[in-house]
Amino acid sequence: MAKIIGGIGTSHVPTIGVAYDKGKQNDPAWEPLFKGYKPVADWLAEKKPDALVFFYNDHATTFFFDLYPTFALGIGEQFEIADEGAGKRPLPPMRGNVDLSIHIAESLVNDEFDITTFQDRPIDHGCASPLPLLWPHAPDWPGVIVPIAINVLQFPIPTAKRCYKLGQALRRAIESYPEDLKVVVVGTGGLSHQVHGERAGFNNEEWDMEFLDLFVKNPEELTKLRHADYIRRGGAESVEQIMWLAMRGALEGEIRELHRNYYLATTTAMTVTLYEPA
Amino acid sequence: MNPQLAGLDDLEGTYVFDLHTSNRAMKLNRFLWKMIGTEARAHFSKDPEQAMTEAGLSDTEKDLVRRQDWIGLIRAGASFFVLEKFARVAQRTNLEVYAMMRGETFDEFMATRRVPECR
Ligand SMILES: [Fe+2]
Repeated sequence: MAKIIGGIGTSHVPTIGVAYDKGKQNDPAWEPLFKGYKPVADWLAEKKPDALVFFYNDHATTFFFDLYPTFALGIGEQFEIADEGAGKRPLPPMRGNVDLSIHIAESLVNDEFDITTFQDRPIDHGCASPLPLLWPHAPDWPGVIVPIAINVLQFPIPTAKRCYKLGQALRRAIESYPEDLKVVVVGTGGLSHQVHGERAGFNNEEWDMEFLDLFVKNPEELTKLRHADYIRRGGAESVEQIMWLAMRGALEGEIRELHRNYYLATTTAMTVTLYEPA
Repeated sequence: MNPQLAGLDDLEGTYVFDLHTSNRAMKLNRFLWKMIGTEARAHFSKDPEQAMTEAGLSDTEKDLVRRQDWIGLIRAGASFFVLEKFARVAQRTNLEVYAMMRGETFDEFMATRRVPECR
């Protein structure tokens, strides 16, 4: 049977991808960010999971607002990394496991999570910005990803509680997969930031710390917050932190935080955390 | 009113992108979204007026695009996530767009950041 061995919370700021591609790993302004991923990358290299399930959001790249899925799961041997207006990134396509993705789709739908599925579509920085900081991509990625996109762009978006429940359903899906795979669940997004309007540039470090603490000790509390609460406390786009709660649902119960890096340099509180079941 | 969003009326400088906005500004958002395609980018660079007309933009929207009025576009219903695709075509970084939305110069905005060199 497949098993969830841990969880990762990570920002997916597009500039992380840009800085990575430009080789800014040792640039003093970027080093605290890249260094902060090292312990997580080391943990992954040691534990060698077969699959990373990504709860992430599309940024109107894979899908457009004329047909915008609330939850969508990707199926394919490969996932191209999308051109988001600045051309293609120098990275190989991300790898997928068709059988695993289909099993998860079947399990979720039979579990009353009527998820959309997508195939043959490129995926944007929601997955691709943090991935090379977690896994090496040369000669090829060491494992597969299962992308699960959550709409956090066009309201109504799912509630925090619904995301948590999706994580719980994902766990049932993973644990009913017959192969002995090791799986890590990744929740992407945040922390505090706002990227539109005159309030762009808003941050709230105090709230970010409270979120991270509640995330481990009392996630229930976070599932009770409304979108308006996230928007007010952490900035409009920080509402995407509900995707972390999907990861938390998959790790239901006590967890230990093995690592935390928080780097608020310009506009997004770039964060990476690592959890194991306690 | 979506109860998940109730109580934000006094929050200044924030424009929630919901289905009302999306429905109202569908053509504008589709136009901006298409900038992820190499052909659409080439077409726009070659003949921006023609590209905007084909996309069915209103005169007001065309004017906002011409002037690269980022905050104006947000107020007209653009989602930031398609706006940033157009920003790539306009050779503007997100940081520059944030500054302009706030009505600040780039240097003014960066002076408010903790690590301004991080770009
Ligand atoms: Fe995002």
